[in-house]
Amino acid sequence: MKSTSYSEKVLDHFRNPRNVGVLEGDDVAVGRVGNPTCGDLMEVFIRVDGDRIVDAKFRTFGCGSAIATSSMTTELVKGMTLEEALQVTRSDVADALDGLPPIKMHCSNLAADALHEAIRNYRSRGIKVNDSEGGEAFDKSCLIGLDEYLDRGLYLSYDEAEIFEGQRTLVLHTGDESLRAAIELTGVTNRVILLSAADHIVTTEELQRELESSNVKILTMSKLLEIRGDDEVEKVLIHNVEEDEDYELFVDAVLIID
Amino acid sequence: MSNTVYLDYHTAKPVDPRVLDEMMPWFTERFANPSSLHRDGDLATEALEASREKVAQFVNADNDEIIFTSGATESINLAIIGYMMKNRKRGNHLIISEVEHISIHNIAKYLERLGFNVSKVPVDQYGRVKLSKLERRVTDKTILISIQYANNEIGTVQNIQEIGEFANERGIAFHTDAVAAEGLVPINVERDNINLMSISSNDIYGPRGVGALVMRKRYRVNPVMIGGGQERGLRSGSEDIPGIVGMAKAAEIMQSEMDDEVRRFKAWRDRLIREVLSIIPDAHLNGHPTDRLASNAHFRFEGVEGEALLLSFKDKGISVSTGSACSSKTLEPSHTLISTGLLHEEAHDSLQLTIGRFTKNEDIDTVLKALPEIVGKLREMSPIYKGR
Repeated sequence: MKSTSYSEKVLDHFRNPRNVGVLEGDDVAVGRVGNPTCGDLMEVFIRVDGDRIVDAKFRTFGCGSAIATSSMTTELVKGMTLEEALQVTRSDVADALDGLPPIKMHCSNLAADALHEAIRNYRSRGIKVNDSEGGEAFDKSCLIGLDEYLDRGLYLSYDEAEIFEGQRTLVLHTGDESLRAAIELTGVTNRVILLSAADHIVTTEELQRELESSNVKILTMSKLLEIRGDDEVEKVLIHNVEEDEDYELFVDAVLIID
Repeated sequence: MSNTVYLDYHTAKPVDPRVLDEMMPWFTERFANPSSLHRDGDLATEALEASREKVAQFVNADNDEIIFTSGATESINLAIIGYMMKNRKRGNHLIISEVEHISIHNIAKYLERLGFNVSKVPVDQYGRVKLSKLERRVTDKTILISIQYANNEIGTVQNIQEIGEFANERGIAFHTDAVAAEGLVPINVERDNINLMSISSNDIYGPRGVGALVMRKRYRVNPVMIGGGQERGLRSGSEDIPGIVGMAKAAEIMQSEMDDEVRRFKAWRDRLIREVLSIIPDAHLNGHPTDRLASNAHFRFEGVEGEALLLSFKDKGISVSTGSACSSKTLEPSHTLISTGLLHEEAHDSLQLTIGRFTKNEDIDTVLKALPEIVGKLREMSPIYKGR
């Protein structure tokens, strides 16, 4: 079966998704699941009155079935009590859509999970979650390849921009100086990736603004594990903290400002 | 396909009606086996050899350097596995690039299991191999380098002449998979320093199920299929005369029409690239800005997943392709896009438009008209699209 052999109902919900958007207010909670790395990211919003869901909306980045399952989930749960909504499973959603291609059952049928998370978040409203503070000191001794690639694509200071001309460059977030370097590098290369272990970049308001309007690609919740290549930097191994997964990224240069 | 727009020519091409006409008699009236010694058999032999000559001319090779196969996959198997097996006393090391077609990556894996060593040379952000990176991977055991002529996804054309020269200077054989390039780039095995080359018939509007290995003199391979000894013992099995005649006719047509065709494609490709990048915010071009196939426009739209794009185009009767994992059998994103330095989440956002012989001006209009609405709608519901 082709991965895109969808039922008419799936196609209908893909073409005319119900309840696209966001909800706001004290009586609203959101559940967020998936990861753009895997190709799917969903947000399900619920508005609750007493113990009943009175409205639901969603936003989804993903394939046809990711969009259709999000749409169907928001349709199913409107009017349900929180207890009832917690009983809604992935296969209920798939059944309501007359089934999904087998290969799509797991990867893109996450809307029920997002719904459950929204309910949990609704119930734990007001409980302050510890925000992890960014800018954690980088321990170079943990990085494999530091000595081997020094000045062979790996640089510990940012003096000459020419070295980075046209190079796919990974900049490690080690403080405001690294942010300024990343922004400046976009002047000599169109590919600058900023890597941070934190869930967001903590810096001054001004730098924040500059960073957002720049071409710097920001990767949060990510750690640099290893530099790889044949005699010079060719790729890096990155650990995605959220997913607890490692993956390789092809780059030409790495900048780690002490 | 009358009311539809087909912009997926890299994936499959129709058979040119002129090719089909040429093939028809060889199915029914002139069906004999060229191995037969009777007059009917002689006719088939003549057709086979005349076809060989046409295909040889198309790539500037000698007639006896053409071996007909069942397609590019078989040609590539014969070239790489055949060459490594034949020459294993001289060395056991093969170099390929990261952006080779999946069939070559899988052959490399197979050879590694047999005890051969394989190195992969990375590419730059446009998908091009650099000689300095190639050089670093050469050892005294390296006997074969295999690098594609052009990329089948992002359309980047390699500097083949230079790579061929590099290999030959070091006494290393050079194979190129020319499937994406044939019919779009003038191929000349002599000028390009190519020793082994794989081509297919469908990619020049011939029938599927036929291809050829171009094997220059002094470069020998072992057969990978053993049988009755056809094609000088390198490709056993009764020759597919209708298919081979079709491939030859396709090569002949291509040789005379390619210049005009490429000029036409280029104008459309450049219009697509120019207009898409200007009307769609946060859109990027994948592949090389200029050294790319005339037929290929490959984009990335931030915050929009490729399969959802493809389905939306499908609803409008427009056939396109994507490198997104969600549309692949393995749920892995395109290794080509990853090799150019894209993150997985970025490789998901791709759209591949490829132009061909029967593309019309209106097709380009239709796509350009449909695109803003499709991208806009998907971005509207995307939680990760930052721009508005």
